[in-house]
Amino acid sequence: MSQGASAEAKAQEARDVDVTAAGRGVWLVKVPKYLSERWEKLQGNGDVGKLRITRSNSKMGPQKPDVVFTSTDAVMNQPGTAPSIPRTHKFALTGVSNQNLVVFSQPHGSEQITIEGKVIQRAECHPVADDKYMQLKRKQLEINNKPKREIVLLQSVVPMYKPRSDHISNIEEKKRNKDTEKRSRLDKEKVMDMLFAAFEKHQYYNVKDLVGITKQPIPYLKEILQEICVYNMKAPHKNMWELKPEFRHYKQSETS
Amino acid sequence: MAAKPGPSGMVPVGPSAAASNTTTQEYTVRVPLVSDRKKRVAMMRLPNRPPIDFSKSTDLSIKMERENNFKEYKTANDIDMMPKFGAGSEFGRDQKEEARRKKYGIILKKYNPDEQPWHLKIGSGKQAKKFRGVREGTISENTSYYIFTQCADGAFEAIPVEEWYNFTPMIRYKYLNAEEAEEEFSRRDKTLNYFNIMLKKRVKNEDKDTELDEEEKAAKSKASKSGKKRREFMLTDMDDWANISDDDEDIDEEDEDGDEKPRDDDKKGGKGKKGKANAKGKAKVKNSKQNSDDEAIEESDDGDYDDKEVDYMSDSSSSGLSGADEKNKKYEEKGVAEEDGLRNILNSEDEEDEEENKEEEDNEDEEKKDEKPAKEKKTGSESSSSSSGSDSDIDKDEKITSALLMQKEKGDKKKPNEKGDAGSSSTNTTDSKSVKRKGDGDAPPSKKSKRDHSSYSGGSSSDGITEDAIRRYLQRKPMTTKDLLQKFRSKKLNLTKEQMTHAIAQLLKRINPERTMINKKLYLSLKA
Repeated sequence: MSQGASAEAKAQEARDVDVTAAGRGVWLVKVPKYLSERWEKLQGNGDVGKLRITRSNSKMGPQKPDVVFTSTDAVMNQPGTAPSIPRTHKFALTGVSNQNLVVFSQPHGSEQITIEGKVIQRAECHPVADDKYMQLKRKQLEINNKPKREIVLLQSVVPMYKPRSDHISNIEEKKRNKDTEKRSRLDKEKVMDMLFAAFEKHQYYNVKDLVGITKQPIPYLKEILQEICVYNMKAPHKNMWELKPEFRHYKQSETS
Repeated sequence: MAAKPGPSGMVPVGPSAAASNTTTQEYTVRVPLVSDRKKRVAMMRLPNRPPIDFSKSTDLSIKMERENNFKEYKTANDIDMMPKFGAGSEFGRDQKEEARRKKYGIILKKYNPDEQPWHLKIGSGKQAKKFRGVREGTISENTSYYIFTQCADGAFEAIPVEEWYNFTPMIRYKYLNAEEAEEEFSRRDKTLNYFNIMLKKRVKNEDKDTELDEEEKAAKSKASKSGKKRREFMLTDMDDWANISDDDEDIDEEDEDGDEKPRDDDKKGGKGKKGKANAKGKAKVKNSKQNSDDEAIEESDDGDYDDKEVDYMSDSSSSGLSGADEKNKKYEEKGVAEEDGLRNILNSEDEEDEEENKEEEDNEDEEKKDEKPAKEKKTGSESSSSSSGSDSDIDKDEKITSALLMQKEKGDKKKPNEKGDAGSSSTNTTDSKSVKRKGDGDAPPSKKSKRDHSSYSGGSSSDGITEDAIRRYLQRKPMTTKDLLQKFRSKKLNLTKEQMTHAIAQLLKRINPERTMINKKLYLSLKA
């Protein structure tokens, strides 16, 4: 818990934000999942495709540029991905309207926060709805509609275990317990020493725990406990023993 | 960004750009390998208001931190902060807790400080703007977002956005919760007569201070020279308290006067202030709850208010609790519309109505035989007694028209005669209320009406419709012509309806009252 606390303190620390790159404009592009999955798995130089931006200045004034994205072969023929995906996508450009979107980053293993830029253009990467795309959607649908559990007819006998009243391991355990069960009464002095040593570490003990520590029979132990301890009947430390005030080594105020 | 053509990454495509006005540029898009990514990119959605532009606020300090919810986490998961060793610790506590959790199948979620909301602070000190950024979960469920940035070589680099945070300004002022808002809303539109409130307060204080005044005078004459400086001697409230304890002992002023000398010596040389302070102390004991204004105790001389500041030292004036008390008290005061005075005006109308009704009944008994046709006209469709039948008709109209008229209606309902009536059953619920209202107003109306009966009926029945009568009615409250007609009809004049309307119309022309439209009805009124 202490280690966690330090990590937490580190994360909670107020950090200066690097805003040197805040003026930079960036595009925010919404990419379909099937495409991004391939991008993430990609090996090699990291080229995923080409972006072709066509601007036409007609007499009507500047129009929205036509942006077409074409995937590379590396993305298209990626091993391990079954359904084929459309190669070309169109970017539908939408403004940021009145949203104020800012990109910030945090390097791995560091707490430094950097503002990376401001979104000046949003775009949605739409596939061209051709046969290939329809095929893809169809396959996706089939996969999604497949039930998670299916009934299978068993061909061979399945190994089964019959219930047992007692396992071998349990018997061993019981035997061991029985040996230690016999607790002999030690000298009162010695038991008290053990008890005081235990109460130095913690303030409250359960009788069961004390039996485990001192290995004394319960009636004898209780007899001694009555002498040097008080039994808590109330909520915060219910059913627990603590030392009588005169034996305590810590201050009274702390016990409350 | 796309506006400036990249110098090297761009590959102009000749043939496709054949059309005269189109330019085509081609860029490579690169996605950095997962292993090469050095940073996590997240998006922050900032509020539009106040506008935030980090590029323009470089001179301000901008800080971000994670919210610390560790304590909340601990309390929510019942993780106690008990010491692990020594005093207060329990043996084997953690293991027992763990065993208990396992038994009930509780799986604890670990507290991750990196999953807490962000706090963004722009600026420093009091001008700092604070925002809280909460992670948005569902936005990237079915799609992924990428940031496209242009590299030095002109190619686009696509970096996935891993998290979205929605930043909202942190509200740091106190606002009303739903219940409080409701309460305040109910006080809306209530016009308080502050003059009345203050007057009441003053009267209350004076009641308590009459005996004190005399006592004070005596003290004043004794220590008249230092009179104005007395207050300044008081340094703390403690002085007052000391006096309070003294005051409990002495009961009348003679006692006090006798005692004064020796006690003056006791009090660290606070000479002369004694008398007044005593008075003050006593006042405080008596109206401690009631937030006494100390000014009310003494007789106002010129310059007495000069040393007013000292008053603020006493806790009766501005301490938190009594302040709240005061506030409540203020709100408990009646609105102007509920005040006794105005209510009396409104109710007097009711009384008059009652008188009329009563009178009407009496008349009815006498004139039952000769007034048969008239009576039949009045009762109309309802089988109840004539008066109540006609009354309830009006009531229904009035109920809709205005709150002012409602008052009258309530008064009408007081008649015992009407209790069993089918016609009035709908309004019977207001009965008890109106009785109560009546009760705190004047003497029982039945007596009064009997008293007034002879003179009233004699005058009105003989005179008939007069200009004075109409003026009187209109000055009291706005009325429709129908109401007016009803008033006179209930007076049992020996006139037909046509005659009455004609007479009223003539008189109204002469009076020329103010006309106002309320709820599509013409109301006539006169300024008193």
